[in-house]
Amino acid sequence: MAGKQGTFGIEQYRRRQRFWHVVESPYVVHLVLFAAVFFIVSPLVWELLTSLKTQEQVFQLTYLPTDPTLEPYRRALFDRGFWRAVVNSVIVAGASTAIVMVLGMPAGYVFSRFRFPFDNAVFTFVLFTRLFPPIGLVTPYYRIMTFGGLVNTRIGIVMANVYLWLPLVIYIMRNFFITIPTALDEAARVDGCTKVQAFRHIVFPVVLPGFAAGTILTFLYSWREFLFAFTVSADLTSMTIPVATFLFVGDTSIDWPAMAAAAIVALIPSVLVVLFFQRYIVVGLTGGIKG
Amino acid sequence: MATERARGDAGPHGSGVRGRLADLVNDHIRIALLGPSLLALIVVFIYPALILVWLSLQDTQGFTTELEPTANYVRMFTDPAFWSAFETTLLYSFGSLVLSVFVGLVIALALNRIVNRWVRDTYSTLILLSWAVPLSIVGVTWRWMFNGELGVVNQLLLDLGILSTGFPWLTDPTSAMAIVILADAWSRIPFATIVLLAGLQSIPQEMYDAAKVDGATSWQTFRNVTLPYLRPSFFVAGLITWMFAFRAFAIPFTTTGGGPAGATETLAVYIQRFGVQLVDYGFASAVSVVLVLVTLVVATIYVVVILEQMQEIEV
Repeated sequence: MAGKQGTFGIEQYRRRQRFWHVVESPYVVHLVLFAAVFFIVSPLVWELLTSLKTQEQVFQLTYLPTDPTLEPYRRALFDRGFWRAVVNSVIVAGASTAIVMVLGMPAGYVFSRFRFPFDNAVFTFVLFTRLFPPIGLVTPYYRIMTFGGLVNTRIGIVMANVYLWLPLVIYIMRNFFITIPTALDEAARVDGCTKVQAFRHIVFPVVLPGFAAGTILTFLYSWREFLFAFTVSADLTSMTIPVATFLFVGDTSIDWPAMAAAAIVALIPSVLVVLFFQRYIVVGLTGGIKG
Repeated sequence: MATERARGDAGPHGSGVRGRLADLVNDHIRIALLGPSLLALIVVFIYPALILVWLSLQDTQGFTTELEPTANYVRMFTDPAFWSAFETTLLYSFGSLVLSVFVGLVIALALNRIVNRWVRDTYSTLILLSWAVPLSIVGVTWRWMFNGELGVVNQLLLDLGILSTGFPWLTDPTSAMAIVILADAWSRIPFATIVLLAGLQSIPQEMYDAAKVDGATSWQTFRNVTLPYLRPSFFVAGLITWMFAFRAFAIPFTTTGGGPAGATETLAVYIQRFGVQLVDYGFASAVSVVLVLVTLVVATIYVVVILEQMQEIEV
């Protein structure tokens, strides 16, 4: 009896091992990844296909654009004037990124290098602002901007973006600076550099990949931002492209191809950043967590 | 002090305004580098946060604003719509959390099996795409795909003969909820994948070799080597995914607008409706305070518990 059980055990073990061999085979691995890529990419491809169709083709329910046209892009960008939203988006994301990086990088450096009274408490405060749900500040921001005359201005949106991304950048930059040995700054200072020179000429070049990661993430995040941009802006004088695209939804008869075209325009920077800076993003996202 | 100067600390190069300014920065390096950030955070965060608390104590329902510290909170806790939004938010956030972490794990395990670096990078770049998509674009895209008359999902299901008439995905409360959760998970899967993949790659190869020598099956290796090592990554991916899904605004708002009949109205959409659309900002602020407190309490408990566990397992 015992012997029989033993052989059964081995049989079972072998069968399981064979099962896992199949599960772990390259075919299954690629199959899983193909399925995942299909799930992730197909909504974007569908949006792209829609943006190349005429209104008639949308109503005829053809899968592919039989006669690809850029007409929807013209309708979205010029007839509706969304080129102004694109300009707003570039200005808002660019200004937000510049301000956040100029403020956040030195702050991250200080947290990585220097001790000062209540340093841990101040750092915890920075983390706290990051954990704080931004939706909570929408109502007060709306009030402040109403009273301060910042409603429907790009400055108002930039201000919200500084709140949203500055704590994140301080945190990410601190984690990058921590990986650089302090011996490096000290050596520079022994050689006669001031603290600022040590930072600029010695530490900054080493942390450049981290700086790039922070810049790319901030730009992308400010470009994508919807909640505050939607709350602050009222029309195309300040509206960003993610908000403008959403406004198609309010139309009585929605121009789906034009809406898809606007969505594709809003997507372009996101896709480009991912395609060219995939590594930096991975470093930035995981660097923002570890440490 | 003399040695300090000899090292060029408060350098003697301080002639002229620029030099003196450089000296000043050098002597007060912490304030000079950190001060502007802290000042900015006071203006863009502390000031609005104080206003939030102040507003939450005001009764703003009528034409006049009155200080009524408990009015909004009483009204909120007795409003069935608040509790329904709260429930929706819980379902939404946990649904998105479970989906994105599970799918993220499967993808990360598969990616980790690919040896060729170029192939792996190509896959991960494609998977990263949905993370970068602006959330309102996620919303309008899913709204378009699941459109009852012209949407591609119905079109496919009809052409394949699975459905005989189009299903109204976004006007049926149950399927609308499922779709916003799916859309939310869609945009969060890449993040979970990246975090879990980084965790997988930090597992030392020797652990796998040892398990192999001991004759462990693949499943046993996965259970006893991979999963314990991945625990910190699960905690990070889980907490961050949950926190961001709990405050989700853009995806439910742009996909369904909180409808049909409030079926997908998360707390964030509820807050926006009162605070911005109905200008009942006192009430909206009170709800915001509750949402903030729930997030912070959960995050704190979670972090404390995890830090304790981490020390035990020494990973």
